[in-house]
Amino acid sequence: MRGLLQLFAAYGGFLAFVLLEGISLVLIVQFNHRQKEIFDNSLGLAIAAAERKIDYVTEYYGLKEEVIKLQAKNIRLMEEADNARYNTSVFRDSMRPDSTEPMFTFIGANVVSNSIISDNNSLRLDKGKLDSVQSHMGVISDDGIVGIVRETTGHFCRVMSILHSQSRIKASIKGSDYFGTLTWKGGDPMRMQLEAVPKHAVVKKGDIVQTSGYSQVFPKGILIGKVESARIEPGDNFYTITVKLFNDLSKVQYVYIIDNLMRKEHEELDRAGE
Amino acid sequence: MNNATLIHITRFFAFLIFQVLILKRLSVGWEGPVFINIILYPLFIILLPLRTPRVLILIAAFAMGILVDMGYDSLGVHAGASVLTAYIRPWILAWLAPRDGYNVNYSPNLERLGSRWFFRYASIMMALHLLFYYSLDAFSPVFIGDILLKTLLSFPLSMIFVIIVTLIFKPKE
Repeated sequence: MRGLLQLFAAYGGFLAFVLLEGISLVLIVQFNHRQKEIFDNSLGLAIAAAERKIDYVTEYYGLKEEVIKLQAKNIRLMEEADNARYNTSVFRDSMRPDSTEPMFTFIGANVVSNSIISDNNSLRLDKGKLDSVQSHMGVISDDGIVGIVRETTGHFCRVMSILHSQSRIKASIKGSDYFGTLTWKGGDPMRMQLEAVPKHAVVKKGDIVQTSGYSQVFPKGILIGKVESARIEPGDNFYTITVKLFNDLSKVQYVYIIDNLMRKEHEELDRAGE
Repeated sequence: MNNATLIHITRFFAFLIFQVLILKRLSVGWEGPVFINIILYPLFIILLPLRTPRVLILIAAFAMGILVDMGYDSLGVHAGASVLTAYIRPWILAWLAPRDGYNVNYSPNLERLGSRWFFRYASIMMALHLLFYYSLDAFSPVFIGDILLKTLLSFPLSMIFVIIVTLIFKPKE
């Protein structure tokens, strides 16, 4: 009680002010029509603004779930597509229409870290050995190819970006099927070079570049980019082609890791050939 | 209860009656989009003795405001403005303090501190009171233009009444 009195002695003026001003404001809102309406309206606006904020936050968390659902749906569709399946329709002298076996499966993943500024860029994804990710698996996004898995740990993996000086991706021109090797010389993260396309091929500006499917890393026909310029240096037997990527690697967020179910067989063949 | 206290209590009711019965009627004539109001009653707060306890000033200001509100049918608006004016009074007084300080036994009035000092003090207090009053009346920062315009238009007329009343009655306490 003494403490309370001391408090009042020290801050009495302020406390009395707050009390009386508070009473005045309550009276204003209670007994004055116009001010009451302004108050109610402002209160309504404030509550609505707060609710919008809360909605936004909950929606955002819902969105994450939605992305995972969509990834799962995409994976199912991609696995159904022709380029992801092994075709068994021709069998000796009989024909079995619509008979395919699954060849590629996809693992949805999120990008944990990413870089595009150095000459040797890599990404880190949030899926690893525990999700049956292994090295040499391809990584794509919805807009194009991203890179190839290099190292894996339990929960994460490191991906060599296509924007890496040692990256070599087999790519072909859509329609004519002439193929070359896609490389990156550094600099612009939206442009790559397509090398070793023979000079008798017909390559025009605007042609679509896609994966060739020869590497067993990417299924055939994943769109990579558009030919921006194609010319033959004097005395050279191959085109010098600049490809503008569809995929903006500086903002890639959700990706798919490609698992080739028949990779073991290819490896066996590789070993047998040595 | 001494003589000075009695004078202030009398002044309280005199200002209240003058404000509600006469000045209110005078102001009504200009009612319209630009509302000019003559407000005199804060002079009571302005003239309270320097040694009055702060809590007492606040309560007196609140009582004055509420009673004026009853006359103006705007419960709370004048009271809120009066309490604010009463609360900032010590800071204004400290700001305007003469070089050798105040004699705390006096009231801040014309007789004790000179006309130049008093009218400066009174005009600052009146301007702030009008600003508080119109702000609480509008009740939203959206109407800041209206608030400032009304304050600007009401201030000269109110000040004329403050000057006339102080020069006629020459309050000594």
